Amino acid sequence: MRSRLGRFSDLLVLLVVWGGLILLFGRLSSGFLSTATLGAVANRIPALLLTATGMTLLMVTGGIDLSVGSVLGLCGAVVGVAMVDFGWSLTGAILLSILLGSFVGGVNGLVSVKLRLPSFIVSLGMLEIARGLAFLTTHSQTKYIGAAVEGIGTAIHGWVVSPAFVVALAAVAAGQAMLSYTVLGRYLIAVGANQEAASLSGVPVDRTRLWAHAILGGLTGFAAVINCSRLGSADPNAGVGFELSVIAAVVVGGTSLLGGRGSVVKSLLGVLIVATLEAGLVQIGATEPLKRVVTGAVIVVAVFADTWRRRA
Amino acid sequence: MMLHAEHLTKRFAGVTALHDVSFELRPGEIHALCGENGAGKSTLINLLSGVHPHGSYEGRFEVAGREARFRSIRDAAASGIAVIHQELACIDEMTIAENIFLGREPKRWGVWVDRASAERSAAEELAKLGVSIDPSAPLRSLGVGHKQLVEIAKALARHSRILILDEPTAALAAHEVEVLMTILRDLRARGISCIYISHRLEEVFDIADRVTVLRDGATVCTLEADAADEAVVVRHMVGREIADLHARSAPPPGQTVLTVVDLAVTDRGEQRLRDISFDLRAGEVLGIGGLMGAGRSELLMHLFGVWGRRTAGRVVLMGHTVPLDDPRAALKSGIALVTEDRRRFGLLLEESVGFNLSLSSLGELSRAGVIRGREEAAANTHWFESLGIKASGLRGIVGRLSGGNQQKVVIGRALMTRPKVVMLDEPTRGIDIGAKREIYALINRLTADGCAVLLVSSELFELLGLSDRILMLHDGAMSGTFNRNDATPETLMRAALGAAIPTRRQ
Amino acid sequence: MVTDRAEYRSDRTRVLLAIAGLAAILGGTGCKPAGGSLDSPAPASSGRQPKVALIMKSLANNFFATMADGARRHQAEHTADYELSVAGIKNETDLNEQVNLVEQAVAQGAVAIVIAPADSKALVPALKRAQQQGVVIVNIDNRLDADVVRRSGLTMSFVGPDNRDGARRVGLALAAKLKPGDDVAIIEGVTTAFNGQQRRAGFEDAMQAAGMHIVAVQSGEWEMEKANNVATNLLAAHPSLKALLCANDNMAIGAAAAVAAAGKVHSVLITGFDDIAAIKPLLADGRVVATADQHADQLAAFGIELALEALKEGKAGGDRTTAVDLVTH
Repeated sequence: MRSRLGRFSDLLVLLVVWGGLILLFGRLSSGFLSTATLGAVANRIPALLLTATGMTLLMVTGGIDLSVGSVLGLCGAVVGVAMVDFGWSLTGAILLSILLGSFVGGVNGLVSVKLRLPSFIVSLGMLEIARGLAFLTTHSQTKYIGAAVEGIGTAIHGWVVSPAFVVALAAVAAGQAMLSYTVLGRYLIAVGANQEAASLSGVPVDRTRLWAHAILGGLTGFAAVINCSRLGSADPNAGVGFELSVIAAVVVGGTSLLGGRGSVVKSLLGVLIVATLEAGLVQIGATEPLKRVVTGAVIVVAVFADTWRRRA
Repeated sequence: MMLHAEHLTKRFAGVTALHDVSFELRPGEIHALCGENGAGKSTLINLLSGVHPHGSYEGRFEVAGREARFRSIRDAAASGIAVIHQELACIDEMTIAENIFLGREPKRWGVWVDRASAERSAAEELAKLGVSIDPSAPLRSLGVGHKQLVEIAKALARHSRILILDEPTAALAAHEVEVLMTILRDLRARGISCIYISHRLEEVFDIADRVTVLRDGATVCTLEADAADEAVVVRHMVGREIADLHARSAPPPGQTVLTVVDLAVTDRGEQRLRDISFDLRAGEVLGIGGLMGAGRSELLMHLFGVWGRRTAGRVVLMGHTVPLDDPRAALKSGIALVTEDRRRFGLLLEESVGFNLSLSSLGELSRAGVIRGREEAAANTHWFESLGIKASGLRGIVGRLSGGNQQKVVIGRALMTRPKVVMLDEPTRGIDIGAKREIYALINRLTADGCAVLLVSSELFELLGLSDRILMLHDGAMSGTFNRNDATPETLMRAALGAAIPTRRQ
Repeated sequence: MVTDRAEYRSDRTRVLLAIAGLAAILGGTGCKPAGGSLDSPAPASSGRQPKVALIMKSLANNFFATMADGARRHQAEHTADYELSVAGIKNETDLNEQVNLVEQAVAQGAVAIVIAPADSKALVPALKRAQQQGVVIVNIDNRLDADVVRRSGLTMSFVGPDNRDGARRVGLALAAKLKPGDDVAIIEGVTTAFNGQQRRAGFEDAMQAAGMHIVAVQSGEWEMEKANNVATNLLAAHPSLKALLCANDNMAIGAAAAVAAAGKVHSVLITGFDDIAAIKPLLADGRVVATADQHADQLAAFGIELALEALKEGKAGGDRTTAVDLVTH
């Protein structure tokens, strides 16, 4: 644990960066500084937040999951089919999505742990598999669900924010609490800090890593439902490139790709920064490819800063 | 003089590995270097071969009359010094010729590697050693013995005049040893000198012209091989030091807590431990000694469930035959391990003292998965104070502590689990004398409280000073059990070397 | 060393097995034209009827699902005349896949290809190669670039609507609900697609004729999620926006979601194009003002008939323009 000042200085830096982005885009696009933009960003955030929380926990253990975008698409596809073809209720679909997401995450974890393959490679394979399954489930067609699913994405009457936003914030709080105050949280950090030493200290390394993967999967499952609610449909192409945004947010927030240290709260700031960046880029008319280049560049810079800071 | 070194002193972060060492090597000589683990042999070799560059040590040495100021291994190699390490530095996937000319491949027009020329030269070098192997075969097709010969050929191809061989026969079969000996004699006749490091004293006296003994980083003596024998060398290796012989205060021993019967363990198909049997009682310290590779650490790790596959035998802990196959189970059954390499395997260097201390006990310090902060703080503080850890509080980062304090953290973590058996693997390695004494006192306190201790140490005097009984291992088997009163440094050393040594060579 | 209990040999076996498994899985999912689906030819094939391959764009778009259904119905009524294979790609922009589908169709012995290309230029070389092997090419929905076609020597016929006119009529229907001088924005399709360019031109025709002010034109690449993002930010960048003209219904749905999220339902109007089933509810409550029906099912049928004619006559037929109907409810 750094000294108190050290921890706050990180948060401060992130807030400054975020503020800087807002000012920059405010200058570049006339309509940027408006409640409309705020609303737009606020709607983008819940899915990102949920997945980023899970990704933070996983990256703390030194793992990574590149398949979250595809899992988003797959869970969304299953939700679409369940609600449209089988008449499931929203609640039932949400539970199904979370379970499916946890299952897929669990598979990632199991293969990584049992076969001792880097989670990078395993999730790369799952990226393809989940996407393929998403297409199979929907026969490659978009499933239009309609109003039944839109509820969680729309602002609650009288409030500014939607149920999705509230759930996402709750997840952040729970995630941070878990990391700081629970046994599993300690184990996550220990596994990432030094897996051998942790194992010799009696930490159940395999089980801990499995949990991290499964939690990320479950959170992604919920994020998938939120994503569907935004468009009122389940698109088998949903989430393409999503994993990059999530990883960018977590890395920008200061969690190291090497594991051992991480903060869900800082990932929240990372999400704010990434979401603001994406909104700003669209507002100034940047094309999709340019957005991906910028996001990638942001990841590189953040990783570089992280390495440089560790060495200092 | 092929090599002449004087007043070599090398320090590492508070530990003096070499102190005012002088060493001399004649042309066409095989000069053996003997000493206990930690005596400084490796450091001396590293210094002479350029691993420790000029400027990182005091003193000077000359090679063939010219002062040596090596900045790197390359400089040393260019001066004609080659090291044949225990872990062979060769690449299995490449051919024999490629290995021999690694980094110095003959080139055509400066760009294309001339494979044919390399293979021809390789064949010549190998022939000079009296071996005929096809140099275009991949290295992995050879056994260890032949690989070593390839290493020697590599050194000779570089026109090395000084070969340093580090435990060359450790992995060889008897007939391969003979081949090596013949080659070394041949090299000697050609005027090439060897520094021969080995624990196998019978080999040393078979091949060496002179023997130098190191102890605690200093040269003890240099003897002509004709004028000495194994017993003399052993006596010099062990020396006389009375200081810590009275460190132990033993309580009356209690019930038997650990029984090991006929334990046999393999690792990667190789038999590493066999016929190990011993008892351990509450309040007792059982020291385990032997050379590196004898199986001491491996035994402890096996009992903790992190190493090896048991092929025979039983382990009974507190009266129950528990399958100890993973650290969690071991800790739960009441047996704890403090590993050898505390920085790599013992600690989470970037985390705080508190984080490390409580890591093995989180189950007891939590309820429903949530850590109970006050209980954890209380437990941590208790051990922090009880062990006298000097750090900036529980929040101090472990990586910044001194070796002794780091060791206390590892021990504290183990003790917090309230084990019945504590296994300590080299607990005072790399620690200053003050911290060492503290740990000795701690061991005494532990046993007074009823704990039993298994202690592995490479320092004979530490073993003698702390143990109630000593078990010596040699090459994976027990080579001697001693009571405190029966043991002397020489008898221990002989047991470590594995054979009853005749007092005079014929 | 400390915690590694696996035998050295089984380490290697384990990794080899894992890699083999992974390769098999990746190979398996990659074997099918990554996401594109080829279903088996329609039943009742004696193997002597000519094979016609229908190659469409994104299967995620309902428009093409309707088109596929229309084609299959046509084949069911003419089982003696030809076999049909239907294929599409996974999204609107995966050109590589579509080229792949063309080449596979040729390899499977298709004598005619009826294609709705994802890009008006990039598919020409592949189609030219197909034609050199004797395959008849019929272009539907999105017209291939005339220049490129001429220079490559590809001969083909085109079946499709007058997109510009259809879009213009949709735009005029929208203008009736607006006041002159109102701000509008256009969300166009893939910028290099001819039909997209035509629709944009038609929207512009209508808006200029009605005196509206076009503040922005951005591409949603025919996709719902992308249009949603674009619309969200257009709404934020231009608070006075009164309408969004979308070049297809999928994008219109995405835009409608953005409008709803911004709380501007009914103050920002939307138009689409394609008349897919999912747009009906939005037409019903007025969130979407108008769309255009290109009769996707007929498009395919016409295309196939043109192909069969060309096969019989031995030469490409002329172009055929199909009807586009304005749909407002």
